[in-house]
This record gives sequence, C-alpha cells and structure tokens, in this order.
Amino acid sequence: MGAMERIGEMTSAGAREYLTFRLDQEEYGIDILKVQEIRGYEPPTRIANAPNFIKGVVNLRGTIVPIVDMRLKFNCSKAEYDSFTVVIILNLHSRIVGIVVDSVSDVMELPPESLKAAPDVDSVIDGDAVLGLGSLGDRMLILLDIEKLMSGVDMALAPDVV
Amino acid sequence: MAEAHQESTSSAGDFDLSQFYQIFFEEAAENLDLMEQMLLSLNLETADDEELNGIFRCAHSVKGGAATFGFSDVAELTHQMESLLDRLRRHELQPNSAMVDVLLESADAGRGLLARHQAGGEGDAPPTADLVRRIKALVAGEMVQTLPSAAPQQPLPTPVVASATVAAQSKAVLAPTPPPSNTTRSLEIRIGPLDHPAQADAIKELFRDIEGLGDITVVACNQADTRVFAVETSSTDADLLDLFAFHVSREQVSIKEVDNVAVAPETRYGIFDGAAGSPETSLYDDPPPGAPLAPPPGFGFFDGAPGAPVPVASATGVAAGSSGSTASARAVAKVASPVVQPEAATIRVAISKVDQLINLVGELVITQAMLAQNSRALDPALYQQLLTGLTDLDRNTRDLQESVMSIRMIPMSIVFSRFPRMLRDLANKLGKKVDFVTQGEATELDKGLVEKITDPLTHLVRNSCDHGIEMPADRVRAGKSETGTITLSAAHQGGSIVIEVRDDGHGMSREKILAKARERGMDVSDQMTDSEVWMLIFAPGFSTAEVVTDVSGRGVGMDVVKRNIAALNGTVEIDSAEGYGMKVSIRLPLTLAIMDGMSVGVGDEVYILPLSSVVESFQVKSDAVSTVGQGAQLVKVRDEYMPVIELEKVFQVPRFDFDKSSDIMVVIEADGSRVALLVDELLGQQQVVVKNLESNYRKVPNISGATILGDGKVALILDTGALVRRSRH
Repeated sequence: MGAMERIGEMTSAGAREYLTFRLDQEEYGIDILKVQEIRGYEPPTRIANAPNFIKGVVNLRGTIVPIVDMRLKFNCSKAEYDSFTVVIILNLHSRIVGIVVDSVSDVMELPPESLKAAPDVDSVIDGDAVLGLGSLGDRMLILLDIEKLMSGVDMALAPDVV
Repeated sequence: MAEAHQESTSSAGDFDLSQFYQIFFEEAAENLDLMEQMLLSLNLETADDEELNGIFRCAHSVKGGAATFGFSDVAELTHQMESLLDRLRRHELQPNSAMVDVLLESADAGRGLLARHQAGGEGDAPPTADLVRRIKALVAGEMVQTLPSAAPQQPLPTPVVASATVAAQSKAVLAPTPPPSNTTRSLEIRIGPLDHPAQADAIKELFRDIEGLGDITVVACNQADTRVFAVETSSTDADLLDLFAFHVSREQVSIKEVDNVAVAPETRYGIFDGAAGSPETSLYDDPPPGAPLAPPPGFGFFDGAPGAPVPVASATGVAAGSSGSTASARAVAKVASPVVQPEAATIRVAISKVDQLINLVGELVITQAMLAQNSRALDPALYQQLLTGLTDLDRNTRDLQESVMSIRMIPMSIVFSRFPRMLRDLANKLGKKVDFVTQGEATELDKGLVEKITDPLTHLVRNSCDHGIEMPADRVRAGKSETGTITLSAAHQGGSIVIEVRDDGHGMSREKILAKARERGMDVSDQMTDSEVWMLIFAPGFSTAEVVTDVSGRGVGMDVVKRNIAALNGTVEIDSAEGYGMKVSIRLPLTLAIMDGMSVGVGDEVYILPLSSVVESFQVKSDAVSTVGQGAQLVKVRDEYMPVIELEKVFQVPRFDFDKSSDIMVVIEADGSRVALLVDELLGQQQVVVKNLESNYRKVPNISGATILGDGKVALILDTGALVRRSRH
C-alpha cells in the first residue's frame, strides 16, 4: 500500500518535525518545512464564483495569496472567525497559500516508530493526502501530505491544466 | 531539518556542471546574436580590424563554452567558424559575401544545436557537415559552388553610394543630392592656413555624418596651420565647398584632383595597413577594448558579458540583390560601423529577484502611505521631528520606487536588433531592395512589454516590406529611388512610449479598402474620414493584398496585432498617403506594472477599472433601462443602445445595506464595443500596481488581476475585454 511505502521513506530520513493544528476536535500535523509563517486572520477580498472554502485573497507584503478555510473544506460543524483564528501560510512548489485553522498547537518531532499507517476509512479527506497517524500518548495526530492535498483538483487553487 | 541536510550532502558530493548550463545557453545565444549583428553591418570593402576581431571573439566565446560543457557538435562548428574568422582578421583572406552567408547560416545552425541541447538532446541535430565543408573550403581560399559570380577578391574602388534615402531621412538639411553617375574622384583637399586647425576636423565629421558623401582620410602635413585630407567622393567641388562653408571659409579651401587611376592607397600614403579605403582606422581613434583575444577555453563563456563591445547599429542597410551581390547587399551606411561603448559594469540578475524587489518596494510605498495617513491628525507643533521624518520617508520611498522600476526597463534596441536580418532575408526572397533605419533604440521600455511587443512589430515590419515597398522597377517608374526605406522608431511621449513603423512604399488606397469592405458586407460609407477608413484593416480577415504570399496577405494578422496591443493597454493608429507610404504608430504605457485605474464600489466591495477603457459615467433613473425579451438589459446613451452589465450580479456581491442600490453607469469600451456597467458609486482615480492573481491562485473569470489599495486591502481589477465579450452571448 502506498501509505506504507511513504512511511518507509520517511523513517529512513529519520524523525521529522511537524506543525500541529486543531480543526474542531481533530488534531492535524503538517511538515514544518512547508510552513512559511503564521498570521492572524484578516478578512480577505472575496472572489466571486469560487468554492465556499476559498475565502478570497489577501495581501501578504505585496503578494496576492489565496486563503483556504480548512474547517469548511473538512466540513467542520462551525467555522468562526475571532481573535484566535490563525492563518498558516504555506509555501508549496513556489506557490503561496494560506490555510485557516482553529488554532496552532505546537511543533513536535515524531520518531519514526510512532507513525502508523492510516486505515482505509470513509472521509472527506482524499486517502492519498493522509501520510499516516501519529500517536503521542493518548492523542492521535493526523499527518497530512499538505502539498498533495492543496494541489488536488477539488481545491480549485491551481489552473486546471497543471 | 533532516531533508535539508540530506540535500546539502548529495549536492556537495559530486560537482555538477549542469547548474551552469543555463548561463552558457544565455551567453551563447547573446554571442551568436551579437555576431549576426556585426556580420550584417560589416562593410566588406572596408572591414576594419575591430569589427573582425569582435566577430572572432563571439565565435571564440561560444566555442570555449561549448567545449567546456562537452557540446562537441557546437564546439566543432564554432571551431570551423573561428578558423575562417581568424584568417580574416589576420588579413590572409578578404571577406566576401559568400563568407558572410556561410557564417550567418552557421550561426543559425549553432542556435539549432544549442536549442537541442537545451531541450535535453532530444530530436535530430541540424545537419552541419555541409556547412563545415563549405567553411573549410573558404578557409583554404577556394571558391564555393554557391558563390555568386561576383569577384569578391577585387575590392570595389568606392563604397557604395546607395543610402541616399537614409541620409535624406535623418539629415534632411545637409543631405546632398545623390549624383546621377557613380564616377568617383580622388581629391586632395588642403584647408588652411587656419588659426585653429582643429576647425578642419569638423570636415571629417561631415563625411562621417552624411551618408554617400564619400570617404575622407587625414594626410600627414608638415605645416602646423594646415590640414590635408585625401577624399574619395562623387560630389562636385561646388557641393563640397558649400558643405565645408559651415565650418571653414571658402578661401581657405583648395581642392585638387588627383589621378583617378586605381592606385592602391597604400602606395600613395603608406599609412594604411587595412583594406583599401578603410577610413575608420584613422577616423575613430578608439583604442581596442581591453578584452583578451584568446582567453583560456574553460572561461570563454564568461567574456561575452560585461564590457564586451556592443555595436550600436543606428542604421543598417538591408538590400536585396537578385544574387545577393556584394554591392547592394552591403549597402551599409557608414554610421553603422560599431562604435565601442564605454565600459559599463553590469551584473546578471534573475528577473525574479528584481520582481521581488519591486514587490517589496511596492509594499513599502503602501506602508508609507498608511503612516502618512495616520500622522495627519497629529499636532505639528508637538510631533515636528516625527513629521519631518515622515516627509523624508515619503521622498525616499518615491525615489526608491523609481530606481527599482528602472531596473526592469530595457532599451528597444533588443527588439530592433532582430529586424535587419529578418528584412535582409525577406527582401532577398521578394526581390525587393530595402533599407532599414532605426531611430531611438535607446528608448527604454519594461521588459515584460518588450517581450510582448516583439511579435506585433515583426508583423508590421513584414507587412511593410511585403505590401508597402514596391518592386524596384515599379519604384523607379513612380519616380522614387529603387531602394525602399522602412523606418522603425521609438520615443517617449509623456507617460507612454510611441513606436512607429514607417515605409515609403505605395501606401494604402482609400478606394480599395472601401471597396473591399463593401465586398465583405461591412457597414461603410464614402463620408468616413481617412483615419476611420484605415482602421478598417484591423477587422478580422481583412486584406487588400492582390496576391497572397507565404509572407503575408492572408488578412490574419492586423486584427491580431491590434488585439495584442490592446491587451497591453496600448492603442494603434495608421496614417497613409497613397503613393507615398504609410505609418503605423503604436502607443504603449511605459510599464505593465502600473496602471491608471478608476475604483468603483459595489456593495461593500471595491473593484478597479482600467481608466484607458472608461468612456464616461452618469447617473441613471430606473426607467432609463429597458429589457429585451425579459432578459438582457439595454440603456440608451444619446443615440446608442448599449448592453447593461450589473456588476452586483456578475460578482454575486452580497448586500447588507438594502437602502443602497446601483444607480451609476460607467460606460467602458473594449474590443471595439461598448457596454455600461452598473455600479453603486465612483470612488476615485488612482495609479495602481498591477499584481498577478495566477501566480498563487488561478485565473478568475472577468478579472484581469489584483492590486493593493492604500489601506492594504486587495482589490480586483476588472477584465473589460471579457466583460464586453460576455455581453455578446
């Protein structure tokens, strides 16, 4: 299975660091090297006829950056915008994208042995975009391949013809 | 962090030349282009050492780089070119047109080979064996079969006097009438005694500035107050005296004719080591550039860059002889000889770094504007120092922005330089004689625009050559010189740049265009003004050419030209006089990065309209809008009904304040049609920095880009072309 192989690759590279964030009750982790910065949420400029999870574009020091609300993308029960709402600015393949999450927890290093392959379950997340599950004591961390997730066709972030 | 570590070890383990490939390809392409330019402007009879050395250096640099990177086919080809050029610069061979042809073809083949390597070595390599054979034959001093019957080893007694039209264009005041006969006389002109002998040097300038006047060389003279010149000219004594009268009085000049026997100049003056009649050696005392002639091959690919001599070809003759004969094909004006520019220290920087700099400065300007706005409420008495500081900041950021924007500006010569070769080939093919003149090639334009303007300009120049300029026989019959002139000029006018393509061909016929338009069922009348008639040729599929050639005449093109230029926020104008030629003027904004915009409010949102497409705006009453078939809305503006586009609906703008409604119409024009946009309010006009939406997101329908407003928020720029097209469906 693909996920197993990917975990194999990861473990050979040694432990990796992950930025963890919360969406509702779930805890996710993404490769810290893909993260450019973390900012507070500011209302973006709406783009007409875009999917609902694309909130619009913001000005990031002169660059126009699209903002994706992960809570809407992952069908969370509520998506509120308050002073704790944060935006993680990602740098993926030289494209810059911001994702809205409920809160950022911390940065943690996961030893390879704590990674488990994710079982095939029905979920809004494309199975290919889940790297695996990390267990930290009694907490479960869903490790995302954020690059794959954001470049998916359903994200409508990049031109259709890549 | 593990990943980063891994990468660094893997790249350090094995030194990989491939990271320098891109630099080599760029350098090589530049060198080949430079070589082509120099070859085209090379005057065969009077080729001087500097020109030949320059061409040699280009070939050498390419060869050195190719050998280093292991592109053996490129290295082999350039090696052969180098051998030929080496013999030329040692004067062991006399340059002739066959050599130039072979070298030009080799440069093309070299480009082909490089392109193949750049693409990863796929596909068939262009054949070079024949070229190599021909070069070898030339090196050995043989005549190649393809050589025209012209006898290139015998230098013609005089440089060709064929560029009179060029002179007439550029130096209208001083232009001498070209003499009917080509008889050239050798004169000795003695000027003096003079109080300031330097005055006489101005005479030399005359010969340099006026094309076709002849050649002048200084002759050593033992009287300090007198200057003696040896002149070869076809002008009469009276003409010469008239010209000299600008600088020295008539009494001081004595003209003596020397024997017109073809005696090699060397035997008479003994100071020339160049080719016969080579004036540049003494006219231009520029020292040879310090570039080493034979750098070690391993570094060859670096020496094309800073400080290499750049020829400033201000006028390059392109003429078509039926056999590419030496005389007409090399009708190169004297001013075209390379002038060595002063050493300019340059660095090669990736364009992305410059763009990043521009972005940061743009952000700085916005931050500065915000500070200025917030400080306005402060009491000047209490915060004097702070406010002074802010004023300084304001000035500095503006200066900074200006300097940074200028980095992206490149001279038009980059575009112009590709035309002499193209026209030479084209004129040859069509059997026409064409001189190509460029003006204002130092005019600077944004790099992004330069790239996009090249294709439309190419099209216009081809059109001029194909449709504008007549066949030599027809020109003579019309009382014009048989060589036509195509002029390409660029100049700044206010905040825009105007590029003109002019020709002295047969121009356009008003009647023909009107007839053609009627034939195509277009709505035309005899009352139309000339400029309206000329604009008809921009209609898709319109062509009045009687013969469709493989060059042009199919009628595709002019509409594409217009669309391309409109996409750059530019405009096109045509002026023509039947029998005398035509002129196409293109007006472009200086940069794509900044645009004059008009901001409009819809609901709580702000959109930007390009000011160039806004025609007018007015307030409407709801009863002024009528509908067609309960769907499309139309508004009557004076005598015209135009479609209404409600921005609120197009962009699904949410409404929170239902008291407010859209009652302002902004009429925009694009692609030749007008529509009225319904908006809530007009917010003002400002210059906006255009940002790309696609770099991080995707193309959004009806939106051409985005910009950042003074408060740091993003506003979307409307794509007026798309909105107009939308109303048609």
